[in-house]
Amino acid sequence: MTLGTLDRELLVVVGAGGVGKTTLAAALGLQSARAGADTLVMTFDPSLRLKDALGVAETAKERPAVVKAGTRGRLEVALLDARTTFDRLIRRYAPDTEAADRIFGNRFYRDLAGNLAGILEYMAVERLFEVQSERKYDRIILDTPPTRQALDFLGAPDRIVNFLASGAVRLALKPWWEQGGGLKRLPMRLAAKGAEGIADRIIGIRLLGDIMEFFRAFGPLYDGFRQRAEEVRTLLRSPETLFLLVSGPGADRIPDTLFFARKLKEAGHRVGPIVVNQVHPQVRGRGAPGSGELAIGMELFRYLGERDSQGIGRLQGLLSRSEPLLTVPLQAAPPTDLAELEALGRIILDQLDG
Amino acid sequence: MKLLSALAERQLVVVTGKGGVGKTTLAAAIGRLLAAGGRRTLLLEIDPRESLHQLLGTEPSGGRILTAGDRLAAQNLQPKVVMEGLVREKVPIGALAKKIVASQVFQHFVEGAPGVKEMAVLGYALRMVEGAYRHKAEVVVLDAPATGHGASMLAAPLMLADAIAGGQLGDMAKELAAFIADPQRCGVVLATLAEEMPVQEAIELVALLRERMGRPPELVIANALYPPFPREAPSRGGAEQAEILGLWRQRRAVNERELKRLRGSWKGPLVELPLLPLDRGPALLAALEIELGGQLQ
Repeated sequence: MTLGTLDRELLVVVGAGGVGKTTLAAALGLQSARAGADTLVMTFDPSLRLKDALGVAETAKERPAVVKAGTRGRLEVALLDARTTFDRLIRRYAPDTEAADRIFGNRFYRDLAGNLAGILEYMAVERLFEVQSERKYDRIILDTPPTRQALDFLGAPDRIVNFLASGAVRLALKPWWEQGGGLKRLPMRLAAKGAEGIADRIIGIRLLGDIMEFFRAFGPLYDGFRQRAEEVRTLLRSPETLFLLVSGPGADRIPDTLFFARKLKEAGHRVGPIVVNQVHPQVRGRGAPGSGELAIGMELFRYLGERDSQGIGRLQGLLSRSEPLLTVPLQAAPPTDLAELEALGRIILDQLDG
Repeated sequence: MKLLSALAERQLVVVTGKGGVGKTTLAAAIGRLLAAGGRRTLLLEIDPRESLHQLLGTEPSGGRILTAGDRLAAQNLQPKVVMEGLVREKVPIGALAKKIVASQVFQHFVEGAPGVKEMAVLGYALRMVEGAYRHKAEVVVLDAPATGHGASMLAAPLMLADAIAGGQLGDMAKELAAFIADPQRCGVVLATLAEEMPVQEAIELVALLRERMGRPPELVIANALYPPFPREAPSRGGAEQAEILGLWRQRRAVNERELKRLRGSWKGPLVELPLLPLDRGPALLAALEIELGGQLQ
């Protein structure tokens, strides 16, 4: 068995929160390993049940854990953790341990850097690049962190690079530290002075001190960060990378799903089949008679089946022929072992072959 | 449960939870109940992709405060707009304020700095109930954004208050942290689904509220439950009915298992709301309002 159109080196599973991305990523990972490829699944926050099913413990934050699935290819799972990755990154790229310790000891880094908007996404991309360049796997499946809008994932690395490394931030903080630092034109100086006053009054001088020190300590790492962000951007646009967009059923999900598919393409990414997950079955026969619990319940399921089928129909109508749609029925319960996970993955593969 | 009247005495009710659990609908239902109970209520939505108006049957807010019923108003608020307003207020020179707002530093700061957006929104709510704006509201119901973790909105002031000493931001963080921590003034409603990941996150959030802020939520709502499986399910019927019944039984079993797990660590008020055969819109809101109101009285 092959993975058909999913036969790429890097699969990026994207979609809004709560649509079952993580479980599908694991299910595809299992199929990939069964097909003989050494596969790494990178994920953020799998449920306890899924971790149990895979036999993966918290130690997978430090190094990938091997899943004992008896597959032809190796299957490993890495748990992504922003702080662990950030720390490791600093240790690796700091010129010496002293510089690394300066960052670790910085208040801004300790209290706030782990909470920077988009840090999870940025670290996912960092870690991906790190693993990818080691070339230890035939295939990597990246499960992206839950975001309100699936698109946030792609924008986050840029936002964080802008914030962390932007010359603008450093320039703006300059007036405090180097009196009269190089700003010649009067309006500029006025603006800088204004900004200085504002920032002092609003942010407070101690935090500013911490931020400034952080950026100073961070300075030597800056070029590496910048360069890697660029390389990751290239990687995500490579022909060997495919985005798998997962959506919930129901008409209210359609605008988000379409929007994201278009945005991915505009940005030069390759988008694979769109997977509509958790689809209720259609109820065709007559419902139960009467107005008891049973009749009401069956009516609810009739409605849900109809809602999902209409949503899928409308989505299909809006997609072109070259944009295939896969549907995965709502599972009776989340997979609790490898056999159930395998069955889930097969639902997707069967549709690819057919 | 006299929870509704308890909630009505708060100045701010934050409805929080993971994305996709029906938070906006629940926030709207709570807002309508409070307004119906006699309080001047403002519903605040933060998500830039507006959807609250679809439930309320109004036009999109686009940042404006719209009337959505007796004593009920609704607004879609962008944190950036609040921040810009703050700068204009603090910087008396118009041209300078404009320059700052347009600067890259300011943009990156608002977009990337931790806790800033959250503080801006909470600060707006606080000033609203304190009567600083032209629009007057006695209670603000906030549909908190679904970030990676629902806690970030509530934890932001405390985190910043810890990290910042002095400056207006530091003072504001302290003031807001005290506001959030005061159960007389601020209520927290935690929305979840009775499924594994949302319940896990709900349990973690309850613990965080308790330990870090010394205050549990007022109420936990388990939304969109499959109905109880009938004791006397028919044994006859075709394969299709058997499939549906099997799915129903097992999805309900997941709901019950997760509700039990939730109850294991949350002993406070828990409202269970059914999954309803209604599209997202005014009809769904009305049905949930009745259901929620009935359980909270």
